[in-house]
Amino acid sequence: MLEIKNLQASINNKTILKGLNLTIKPGELHAIMGPNGSGKSTLANVLSGKSGYEISGDVNYEGKSLKKVSVEERAQRGIFLAFQYPLEIPGVNTNNFLKTSLNSIRKSKGKKELDTLTFLKLVKEKASELGINEKILSRQLNVGFSGGEKKKNEILQMKILDPNLSILDETDSGLDIDALKTIASGVNSSRDSKKSFLVITHYQRLLEYIKPDFVHVLSNGKIIKTGCGELAEELEKTGYQKLN
Amino acid sequence: MMQNLEINFKQIDKIKKITKEEKNFRIKNLESFKASGFPNKRQEDWKFTDFKSIVDSNFKELDAQRVSSNINKIDLLKNFEHNYVLLVNGNLHSSNFDYEEKSKIRINNYDKSIDYEISKNPLICLNHALAENGYSLEIDKNYKFKKVLVIYNLFTKDIKNKILNNKNKIKINENSELHVIEYTINESKSKFINNVYENIILEKNSKFKNLFMQNNKSDGFFHKFIKNKLSLNADISNLIFSSGLKFNKIDIECDLVEENSKCNILSALFLKKNEHQEIKTLVNHLAPNCKSNQKIKKVLSSGSKGVYQGKIYVKDIAQKTDAYQLSKALLLDDNAEFNSKPELEIYADDVKCSHGSSSGNIDQDSLYYLMTRGLSRKDSSKLLIKGFLNEVIEFIKNPSIKKFIETNLEYQINEY
Repeated sequence: MLEIKNLQASINNKTILKGLNLTIKPGELHAIMGPNGSGKSTLANVLSGKSGYEISGDVNYEGKSLKKVSVEERAQRGIFLAFQYPLEIPGVNTNNFLKTSLNSIRKSKGKKELDTLTFLKLVKEKASELGINEKILSRQLNVGFSGGEKKKNEILQMKILDPNLSILDETDSGLDIDALKTIASGVNSSRDSKKSFLVITHYQRLLEYIKPDFVHVLSNGKIIKTGCGELAEELEKTGYQKLN
Repeated sequence: MMQNLEINFKQIDKIKKITKEEKNFRIKNLESFKASGFPNKRQEDWKFTDFKSIVDSNFKELDAQRVSSNINKIDLLKNFEHNYVLLVNGNLHSSNFDYEEKSKIRINNYDKSIDYEISKNPLICLNHALAENGYSLEIDKNYKFKKVLVIYNLFTKDIKNKILNNKNKIKINENSELHVIEYTINESKSKFINNVYENIILEKNSKFKNLFMQNNKSDGFFHKFIKNKLSLNADISNLIFSSGLKFNKIDIECDLVEENSKCNILSALFLKKNEHQEIKTLVNHLAPNCKSNQKIKKVLSSGSKGVYQGKIYVKDIAQKTDAYQLSKALLLDDNAEFNSKPELEIYADDVKCSHGSSSGNIDQDSLYYLMTRGLSRKDSSKLLIKGFLNEVIEFIKNPSIKKFIETNLEYQINEY
């Protein structure tokens, strides 16, 4: 699904990722943990295609290089990034946005665009699965949403767009326990043998609800340790400091 | 350089049935216009717009003679049921009030009153000197319009190098209500100037909504001065959606003469190549407990220019005034220009007045966020532009009119 080799990324002449290697196979869920400033969000941004970074190394997605692939094309090919800080977009109705988004992805795959009724039915179904109040979807995108609502809205978008590779950038930060469970159930119910996940988090807490296949520790732009679920628990006790 | 604007005193002599007083009034105004000529940047109210040089560079000659108003047929809007008034080159052509009680409505040719002072604005002087057509509409008291009134403002193919001076008046008497859409249709492919003076009087408890838009791009140069006068509890809303014009200046002066009167001035505009759109306002809070709200939003693309000059004046007796003013511009490229001059002049001490102005580019982070959802850069920009303008459109309550405005704006944005 995703193969990253010796990825280096710098911004404003500051190198953030310093030779990162990571392979994610279909059906796998990988967690990346790491201290502040280790490059977690940069990794998420680079994978989504955000501009402004100088990049070297290889990133292959479904066997093809992502070099020169635009942000929207990555999304159309099935890469989804749940934002750490979802943006507020005034004046843009959430449902309209979701519909435009879904239809541009469907269109790029040569699928028929969904009409409003079918779309609303889909949204209703996914929202109730996640226990999200539909009413927020008729509001402006993320405007006036609580922190939890914003994150839930990201997961709802993930459910609706149905990507192959979902990257969750600290989706759990700032959430109460109920919202955390919602996010986790959103991820768990999407898991199957074809879909892959990259979950970026600070804390082990989320991983109590989402069982990762692999846990990586990112520090100073490199993965310094890889293990299974127990590694997260160990980190929780010992902290990152001891690994260095 | 413009050689000759064919205005002379003889032209005033040609106006039929003119009293001595009216003739003097016209001559006085013409002299005033001649003394200053077309306005230029030296005048504060025109500091961002050198109208004189605009006229000079676009017209070799200008003819102020009145023009005929013959047309065959006009396609009425089918989007919603409405009454209509048809103006052809500013002349009152016909009207239809089939949805209303006709006895409550009077519509006539322009109002001949001459009780105006000499204005500092040369274009107003020119209008007072030469206007001899337009319409005058009066609504009786206690009458609420059932349907919207569309004023079709049609300019015919043969209009070329003309300066058309029109004078309109709307009077809404006590407890009455009217909603107007002024819809400009320009069939002329040539350049011309339309210079309008509009007088709007709202009596006690009356309500008026005035929405401006046009159906197509146009090479016309439009200047309109609107004088609003509001009595006790009267409520006026001006909604400006007239993008797509080569030059358009709407100058609104609103006098809140009696208590609890309210004034809204809202605008959502999308300007493209070489278009110039200017909104100038002066809201005079002359009595206590009045409220005014101005919100101007402009999206400016290549080479377009947007201007907002907004002033709030609060008289010493106008305590508990609540006045708000905001102008925001979204600049889509480096060649677009936005000038804003907010002004407050306050002589009362217990008031709530605020103003703000901002301009900036499309937010790159928002753009990125939308693109990570599979939208192209262009579609994401369009969505953000629509979002930016939406706040003003939300003000329209009637769903079919709202849809109509939305579609029209969307059409302009999609061309971007």
